[in-house]
Amino acid sequence: MKNLLNNGRAVNVRGLNKIYGSGAVAFQALKDVDFHADVGEFLMLSGPSGSGKTTLLSILGCVLRPTSGEVFLFDRDIAPAREDEMPSLRINLIGFVFQGFNLIASLSASENIALVLQLRGWQPKEARREAMKLLTDVGIPEKGNSLPRDLSGGQRQRVAIARAMAGRPPLILADEPTANLDGHTGLQVTTMLKELARVHGSTVVVVTHDNRIFHLADRLVHIEDGRIRKE
Amino acid sequence: MTNTLLHTETQAAGDRPSRSPVRFLRMRTMTRVAMRMIFHDRLKFAGTLFGVIFAVVLTNQQLGVFLGLLSKNTMFIDNAGAELWIVPASTKTLQAGKPLPMSALYTARTIPGVAWAEPLLFGGATISLPAGGSEPLTLIGTTAAHWRGGPWNVVAGTVDALRTPETMFFEDSERDKLGGLNIGSVREVNGHRTIAAGFTWGLLPFGPSYAFTEYDNARVLMGTPSDETSFVLIGVAPGANVDSVEQALAASIHGNQVLSTSEFRSLVLNYLLTQTGIGTTTGSSTIMGLLIGLIIVSLSMFSGVVDNIREFGTLKAIGCRNRDLAFVLLLQATVYAMIGSVIGLRLVSLMSDAIRSPKLALVLPWQVFAATPFAMAFLCGVASLLALKRIRKVEPGMVFR
Repeated sequence: MKNLLNNGRAVNVRGLNKIYGSGAVAFQALKDVDFHADVGEFLMLSGPSGSGKTTLLSILGCVLRPTSGEVFLFDRDIAPAREDEMPSLRINLIGFVFQGFNLIASLSASENIALVLQLRGWQPKEARREAMKLLTDVGIPEKGNSLPRDLSGGQRQRVAIARAMAGRPPLILADEPTANLDGHTGLQVTTMLKELARVHGSTVVVVTHDNRIFHLADRLVHIEDGRIRKE
Repeated sequence: MTNTLLHTETQAAGDRPSRSPVRFLRMRTMTRVAMRMIFHDRLKFAGTLFGVIFAVVLTNQQLGVFLGLLSKNTMFIDNAGAELWIVPASTKTLQAGKPLPMSALYTARTIPGVAWAEPLLFGGATISLPAGGSEPLTLIGTTAAHWRGGPWNVVAGTVDALRTPETMFFEDSERDKLGGLNIGSVREVNGHRTIAAGFTWGLLPFGPSYAFTEYDNARVLMGTPSDETSFVLIGVAPGANVDSVEQALAASIHGNQVLSTSEFRSLVLNYLLTQTGIGTTTGSSTIMGLLIGLIIVSLSMFSGVVDNIREFGTLKAIGCRNRDLAFVLLLQATVYAMIGSVIGLRLVSLMSDAIRSPKLALVLPWQVFAATPFAMAFLCGVASLLALKRIRKVEPGMVFR
């Protein structure tokens, strides 16, 4: 892992463009974006709806291909990566926290976390034990066997954070993690995300327009009309 | 933690363990996901299972009826006790056609390797009913003392009772239809006095039931000349080669056919399948059952994917590949096939017991039972193709929308 971190930049984006569609219906979501996140940084990306922040997050998350530009995750340029390389990039480099939690409904809280670990090559028993440890870290050790439907919104997002942290991925991408939570819970959950990322040494990029959590950011980047406006 | 990390992208190629444990782990993980998903939505599980059970019951029931009909038409050949048959040249099925000359019987008895040869009379007859009217019979004349060609499956009387003049064995399940027959009942068959001497069970071909009488009595009833017969049954001497005896017989019997029991059975089956509607009728019902099952399972699995599209997107986003998700779907399809087959076959078995009668019996050999889960696994696999296609199109990026 160390060799990935030696340039000091977890994310380094240069001249990034993303155009959806073609011809008359073409829409440019990102326009010549330069952007970076340092290793261990807790960075927030804000902007109004349609500003391109989710597009940028999707490209960083290796779930969307850029139209042009360079996207370095640590020392790897992912822009020219083949489609079939993307799943292993995601599993090995990135942990995701989604706006809608996106837990697998049929799996218990601990199984949701263990699933990611097992995809990363952990033995089931070890994965289960680590999942319980992570649930303890996020403050809900007693919910290991609960299905997502039996958890509150805050608890689900805690499980989602534990899942994102599973296996200590070097990069965590969070998409509007407080959108479905009340203000107090949102703040609690984001504080916990920041603290865990610090302990794990992970870089975190949070897309949000929730100004109640802006103060938690090491750095706040504003994006508008597909361009970085201010940092 | 690093001890348990078997493989990551970040490990140097030389440090990587063999891929098989990783692949095995992945399969194990996806198996768990597949099983949890399948049993989580119980309504969908029940709906899909219903489709498989429906397909199993309908196809096996139709197949059982089909095989039952075929077996009814070949049971005489199977139970006659002969290894070889001499049949008229134009014979396509077990029906009295152009008669054989008795010389065929006498020639057969001279062929080395022939242990015994017996004539068999086979033809249509009519029994008059006490209340008026009549019913058709398939009359069979066999010779004492071995009664090769029947009767068999005797449920009342002794076969040697047929030595008594004018006696006949009838089908037990047809007793009411034949005017309340009992042992000792007197009827007219082809205008001749006949006494019921015993009963067989289940000897109902796809046509009039079999009635057995002594050969000479049958000849009188059917008005067959003494130098003619319907078929000649032949037993091969112990140690003799059946094929060689068959060839020797064929070389000596001119103008007629010599067939082994299996050849005669194949001839009859071929005739039934190609020249009658049995094959088309039951075959189309069987295919219809499979098609309906395919559609139900296919739609059910597709809607399962559509309903859980976000979960599949999430699985892709967290690192599952298309082939992992294909494995999930195919495994689910196999589980549906196996559970559906077990329940469906049990239902077919119960149904078979409930409707079993001399007139209708589902014939389901063990091979059909053994093949059903595989056939259903194939059907469910095909049914999951639509869902697989949908899953391939799922973009992991959807989880951010």
